[in-house]
Amino acid sequence: MRPPPQQTTSFGWQQWLAVTWLGLLLLAAVGAGLLPEQYLAPDLLHTSAPPLTPNHGLGTDPLGQDVGMVLLFGARVALCVSLPAALLAAALGTLLGLLAGYWGNQRLQLPACYWLSGFLAAACYVLVTVPSHGLVVWWWPLALGAVAILVGRFLSCITGLRKPIAFPADWLLLTLITLLAALPRLLLVLTVAAASEPTFWGLVVLLTLTTWPQSARLVRAEVQRVRQLPYLEAATAAGLPPWRIVRHHLLPNVWGPIATTIPLSMAALIALETTLSFLGVGLPPEIPSWGRLLAFSRVAPDAWWLLALPGLCLLATTLSLRQLLPVNKQRSTI
Amino acid sequence: MKSFLSGLAAFLLCGVGLTACTTPSAGPPAVRIRWAQDPQTLEPLTATSSQAVEVINLRHCSLLAGDYEHGRFAPWLAESLPVISRRNSFTLLTYTLRREATWDNGQPVLARDVAFTLKVMNCPRLPTEYSRTQYGVILDIELDAANPRRFTLVCKGSSQNVIIASGDYLILSEHSLDPEAALRAVPLPLLRADTAAALRRYPSLLNLANRYRSIPPEKQPGCGPYQLTAWAKNQYLRLQRKPNWWGSKLNKPPRWLQAQAEVLDYRIIPDNATALLALRRGDIDLYPEPPAQDFNRLRHSADSTKLLFSVANSYDVTMVGFNTQRPALKDPLTRRALSMLFDIPGLISATQPGLAYRSVGLINPHDKPAYNDSLPLLVFAPQRALALLSQAGWQQHPDKTWWRNKIQLVLNIIYKAGAADHEAIATQLRTTARQLGVLIKLRPQESTLLRRQMQSGNMDMYVHTLNGTPYAYNFFSIMHSRGIGMINYPRFQNAESDHLIEAITAEPNPLRQASLLRRFQVLLQQESPVAVLYFARHRLIASRRLGTVQAISARPGYDATQLQLASARQ
Amino acid sequence: MVRQVLRRLFQLLLTAWGIITLLFLLTRTLPDDQQLLSRFTDTTTGTTASGEQVRQAQQARLQRLGLAEPVFYASRATVPIDDEQLLISRWHWNGTHNQYHHWLRDVVHGNLGRSYRTGEPVAGLLGSALLITLPLSGLAALFIVVFSLLLGLLLASRPHTGWVAMGLYTLDSMPLFVVALLLLLLLANPDFLTLFPTYGLGLDNEAATSLPLILTAPAYAVLPVASLVLTGLAEPTLQLAAALRHELQFFYILTARAKGLSSGRVLRRHAFRNALLPILTLYTELLPNLLAGSVVVELIFALPGLGRLLADAAAARDYPVLVGGVAMVVLTRQFSLLLADWLYQLADPRIRTTG
Repeated sequence: MRPPPQQTTSFGWQQWLAVTWLGLLLLAAVGAGLLPEQYLAPDLLHTSAPPLTPNHGLGTDPLGQDVGMVLLFGARVALCVSLPAALLAAALGTLLGLLAGYWGNQRLQLPACYWLSGFLAAACYVLVTVPSHGLVVWWWPLALGAVAILVGRFLSCITGLRKPIAFPADWLLLTLITLLAALPRLLLVLTVAAASEPTFWGLVVLLTLTTWPQSARLVRAEVQRVRQLPYLEAATAAGLPPWRIVRHHLLPNVWGPIATTIPLSMAALIALETTLSFLGVGLPPEIPSWGRLLAFSRVAPDAWWLLALPGLCLLATTLSLRQLLPVNKQRSTI
Repeated sequence: MKSFLSGLAAFLLCGVGLTACTTPSAGPPAVRIRWAQDPQTLEPLTATSSQAVEVINLRHCSLLAGDYEHGRFAPWLAESLPVISRRNSFTLLTYTLRREATWDNGQPVLARDVAFTLKVMNCPRLPTEYSRTQYGVILDIELDAANPRRFTLVCKGSSQNVIIASGDYLILSEHSLDPEAALRAVPLPLLRADTAAALRRYPSLLNLANRYRSIPPEKQPGCGPYQLTAWAKNQYLRLQRKPNWWGSKLNKPPRWLQAQAEVLDYRIIPDNATALLALRRGDIDLYPEPPAQDFNRLRHSADSTKLLFSVANSYDVTMVGFNTQRPALKDPLTRRALSMLFDIPGLISATQPGLAYRSVGLINPHDKPAYNDSLPLLVFAPQRALALLSQAGWQQHPDKTWWRNKIQLVLNIIYKAGAADHEAIATQLRTTARQLGVLIKLRPQESTLLRRQMQSGNMDMYVHTLNGTPYAYNFFSIMHSRGIGMINYPRFQNAESDHLIEAITAEPNPLRQASLLRRFQVLLQQESPVAVLYFARHRLIASRRLGTVQAISARPGYDATQLQLASARQ
Repeated sequence: MVRQVLRRLFQLLLTAWGIITLLFLLTRTLPDDQQLLSRFTDTTTGTTASGEQVRQAQQARLQRLGLAEPVFYASRATVPIDDEQLLISRWHWNGTHNQYHHWLRDVVHGNLGRSYRTGEPVAGLLGSALLITLPLSGLAALFIVVFSLLLGLLLASRPHTGWVAMGLYTLDSMPLFVVALLLLLLLANPDFLTLFPTYGLGLDNEAATSLPLILTAPAYAVLPVASLVLTGLAEPTLQLAAALRHELQFFYILTARAKGLSSGRVLRRHAFRNALLPILTLYTELLPNLLAGSVVVELIFALPGLGRLLADAAAARDYPVLVGGVAMVVLTRQFSLLLADWLYQLADPRIRTTG
């Protein structure tokens, strides 16, 4: 279906530059961990100092922290929070988008008896519980699940209950996306703030959970398109197992939008991480990040270095990711 | 595609062209003031924002007005301060209203309007939770049969604060809000005591409440100098001086009965950078409370020839409080040690150079009689703090951490998320403390959550700016043990201090009150439940169209009744 | 056909109702005991209310607003640690005297309630905010679609357009507030260019009242729309360019070329249709995203839009406004999903999304 690749994906100077930048970031992130935190001490005599101030080669922010040091320490956050969150969100989005796009509302079917027993068990779990004797009642949902499966088996003897009923995977995904997107940011923050103390992993999870819908919708759209193509119908007709179809025929197709969206989402994630941190559910403020520097430029709009320097770092990271994630990957051929 | 592009070009050109048309060539006669947010509601019973209070005070009058120049209350709608007498355990305050005072329609303001107002503030089915409690000291009103302008308020308690409370609410017009005089028959004590019984006996109260709610607050008539002519939510609000404002008929009207500007035009611009641009372009005339950095930068820029700058000492005090119920912070020595870790001059020069001044305690240093200048200011002395910590029983382990009775000295500090000056304080404290081995965690919070945590004592330390007034000293809510769980955020509990606070509030003689206040400052410095960092200065920038403009010590930092265009000034 | 549409519509409303119910319950979990308390504590003159009095006042306020009632039909029961019974109900039944029931009843009657802060009807508040937001975000969405199509085709067809992509990546790495502030400081600054007005809609100018709004509004809309367009442009453009490049590798393109079609024609006629499909989803969600998501632009340019209304409502715990606004956003999103599916089928009749 596809002419031979016109250009071999060679490792050009751009890719080398990208690898160098990401390597530098890694070095900065590791190095920042070894540096004493004293380098971040605010210098109250030089607040909002422009670059080339003695002792502050890259200037200071309105708190008097050295911009160079903040950039260095901020690399850690970019590498350990924003990047994993971007990758995880893309992975989660791809997975859910694939499932919803592939199965749609009709293709995933379960016999009615399992629906019935599952529903009864869920209702039982939601409505009643057992008195706990000091221990967490971990066995209660497990027991209900086991009972549900057994009852389902038993019920399947009745012919009338063997009729398959479709699982609305697509509808479920879209509803979930709408719910997440309609949730006001402040409401989300307050809900999370009430539930837990800010932690590093909590932040990655929170960022992932708020950003996956974008890639999920892209993947779902692409899968819906590809699913109709003749070669996929042929693959299905040939009796290939679903996971094989997904892996060899769908995944390569959805790679393009995902590879484009990962670098682009970095900036949005850094901005979101800053917003969350500012509202007290992200990172504690003693951990510097590029986003915080960018946000300071809102307070001091004429301090261009607070905008330009972290902006450049961010741009370099975005472009490096863009270079290392080739959009036109080998496409499926049959 | 081409047509789209040309359409876009036309759109842009149209935009540019029309800007030129819409820019007013000659300035309108209005004084244009920047507001950061909308007043939301002008309903006197529920209005909370400072913007709403400002408008309400320009449209309505109370019995007494705050005289910020002398730091006291003065007669506004009343002819003079009330005559005080006693009956059993009650205080009787007899007021006489000004003869000249009229409503919009020329009707005189009478004592029965005051009675009506007090009854509305306790009327069932109206949002009266605040007024019912806040003015709960007023038990009854007695009208003078001989003089329709004279009345007596029966109050409980006898302190200065009761007198202030008795004249602090704005007066509503009976004849336009209650033309059938349904409330006149209802006794105030009944409304105060039992709303259900009042509703049973006077069912017409329901009609009144419905009628009151059906009149938009901006349409309520007032006896103040201005009336509202336009209000677009979140955009602008315009006040026009009444053509026959009764205050101008007075012989020598006091400041709060003057109305200099013909039109006051409030523009709602949330973003500071936008407001600054608008000021420099001449779109607004007055920019109150700009950020310190912007104020100083503009003052030293070329624009300073086109603008006016003014500062005034305010009563807004920024402090760090300690939760005195936490085991680690229970003893004053530890609190005093931590107070020595603030580099206050450095913080002032970093966040608000020239716009803040220091104080030994919660009393403004410009209040000379009450301010205890014999006390030393807090010093930045980490080494002395170390000594104090050891004295307090803390021991430093080899890894530099401090321990006492198996408790490590690790503290958190909460402050409002996004408040740059509070963050600077917390960051500086954290850095200094870390060098000594004291670990401090920063916890910025959204403002409602922050207040909740401070109220419930769910923190070790907090940064807070307390907005004071020039009129009276009242430490009941912030330092008395009765305020714990409300805004006694340090949860400070001290028998001697409670006693002093009660004495200060009850003392009518200013000289004796001043000496009590001096003792209170000594006590607070010894106990150190809070570390007072600095008082801020109010500041404003104005365009030269205003001729002269003076910042004032009371909120919001300017006096809208005194603003005037230079061209209109004789 | 009609049945199909009706079924779809019913499904949509049912989903929206479920989501709104969930969000309703979530908003009511926000603590709101500080609203009245702060008024008492901000008063430093006059008498001081005691803690007991404040608590009573707070209770009275909750009673007046109907917040003293339970939130939902059932509320969580406290599960006893030790009990003789085998099974314990997790829930406590409250009956129909609950906040949700009353709210739903009012909504069915077309009444969204009144704002706690201002006492105004919620529908009116939302309407006046939409009057500002809808033209603004509609224009921005339109420009994003047009420009991203043009730029996407340009990027895919011309070989040396690296600088355009570079520019788009730069725009993407700048937060919205930075773009808005930069536009403001460059184009509405007395030190540089004063091409555009700084803030608002010009309604507060006495001079402007002589001209109809339709003539004056464009000048005020340029900067806000431009900042929304500039920040929203990168993603759809780059996605479209990538998809087009991807399509160009196929044999059918070679075939079309062999027929003698110009490369521009091949791109527009053949590759474009296929490449557009996944991008459609980005386009249809532009409007709902912009509707509530342009708070920053509304703040910087002082526009009284929907984003600000909702953010203020959340900060002040003004539940009726918050829930009403969220409900509107949810409905818009549901309709945009419907639109996306319809557009897919229009672009590629083979796709059966409902099937």
